Amino acid sequence: MISSANPNSQCCRIGRTLQLAMSFTGFFVLAGVLRCEASFAQETAAFFKSSCASCHTIGGGRLTGPDLKGVTERRDREWLRSYILNPQAKINSGDAYALQLLEEARGVVMPQVPGLTPEKVDFLLDLIEAESALEESQFKGIQVSMEPFTPADVAQGMAIFKGRQSLSNGGPACMACHSVPGIGGLGGGNVGPDLTRVFERLQGRVSLSAWLQSPATPTMQSVLRDNPLRPDEIHVLVALFEDTAKNGTPVQVTVAQLSFLLLGLGGAVLLLVAFDFIWKGRLRAVRRPLVQAAKL
Amino acid sequence: MALSSNSLDIVLFAALPYLVLFTFLLVSIQRYRAQTFSFSSLSSQLLENKRHFWALVPFHYGILVVFAGHLVAFLIPRSIVLWNSQPLRLYVLEVTGLVFGILTLVGLTEMIARRFTNSKVRKVTSRLDALLYLLLLTQVVSGIALAVYYPWGSSWFATNLTPYLWSLFRFQPDLTYITGLPILAKLHILNAFVVIGLFPFTRLVHILVVPNPYLWRKPQVVRWYRPAPRNLT
Repeated sequence: MISSANPNSQCCRIGRTLQLAMSFTGFFVLAGVLRCEASFAQETAAFFKSSCASCHTIGGGRLTGPDLKGVTERRDREWLRSYILNPQAKINSGDAYALQLLEEARGVVMPQVPGLTPEKVDFLLDLIEAESALEESQFKGIQVSMEPFTPADVAQGMAIFKGRQSLSNGGPACMACHSVPGIGGLGGGNVGPDLTRVFERLQGRVSLSAWLQSPATPTMQSVLRDNPLRPDEIHVLVALFEDTAKNGTPVQVTVAQLSFLLLGLGGAVLLLVAFDFIWKGRLRAVRRPLVQAAKL
Repeated sequence: MALSSNSLDIVLFAALPYLVLFTFLLVSIQRYRAQTFSFSSLSSQLLENKRHFWALVPFHYGILVVFAGHLVAFLIPRSIVLWNSQPLRLYVLEVTGLVFGILTLVGLTEMIARRFTNSKVRKVTSRLDALLYLLLLTQVVSGIALAVYYPWGSSWFATNLTPYLWSLFRFQPDLTYITGLPILAKLHILNAFVVIGLFPFTRLVHILVVPNPYLWRKPQVVRWYRPAPRNLT
């Protein structure tokens, strides 16, 4: 009975229960905070991989953009924040260091990354700082062989491009969206850019390999996210692109498109003729034949 | 959600699909419960039978094949990617799709011309019909234009459109798959959503009551319930 219970012990019980509940709540809040921090770190790393790694390494040397190892020691955070948020504006302001970066990148302006906020830039700089302190960063980039490509590499690259050799992780053939010279038939796709000169556009073997490992465009990121290219596949694709840049001229898609359209029109006409033949006994009208029959 | 997705993309490709899907489901059920016999194509064949053939037959054969292609790419995209791994097979698939796409356009064009040039058929044509024909024409023309200008759609549908559509069904819309697609592709997707949303209000509902058992039921002999004419006996 309540009245017979010792009020002190009851109070203690309630107190202990509350304490326990608070401990649990505190534990879950703390776990939540830790998980949030872990997930922030993961998100930032994923963001770096998808938006920065195609042009930058951390300790792996220069790609299109500079190696970012120790960048926070080279420039102060305020400068880095304003440059990363709007590189073109910094260049336009005549900033000497921004102009030097532009010259080192052979005139390629760092694109403004969509969705970046000052807070996200700070997370990125924290990540770069932490990775710079490591002996070997996870973002040191792809290890690229500098051996000359062989004709077999180029042929294998074309086989992958056309889909004859399937990508090991299940990715689609490049020709679904892109063209290079030498595909034959009705040619390659046109949703993505022509890749004849991509080797020059992305400034050579190392940068192109890094791009293929961590593509910078949302479409390619989504396509390769679940089906990443293997290093040996990147190697032969780069061999193909080096070859097309040297020996090929960009594909004229108009002829292939016209042939495709004519084939489609021809097939449609054939089917319409077939329909007319198959249903030659069809009822073409109702009232008029009845009237004509009545007149006879 | 993708960082690069702008607000308009979010409204059109992450919110609108749910609006049209729920409209489609709820209104279709409600209309079937309230007006069961309004589920009809409201055929005008009795009013005009000559041009009707060149409208209906190419359109239906065309759209059925094209729709089946979209459905296979949506349900088993891997099969399309594997089939397309030989360029010749890719070309055969794409040309077949284009042939049936053009058939659909021929049928639809004749359907619209017949609707608006034949006085009897025009009389039974509503404003909603006119809007529907406009939307269908937009859909078919944009589909053919996509096939011709942005080859090879069967492959990039399987690799980009299918994951996007499945992300909608998982209630986790992922627009990164379609952000970089050409504006024509976005128009084709958007117009498809509008057609789905408008579906239960239009004569398109006949798709839901296609008498499929006709394909396998036993043939029925239909006779006049009256004495046969004398000269035949």
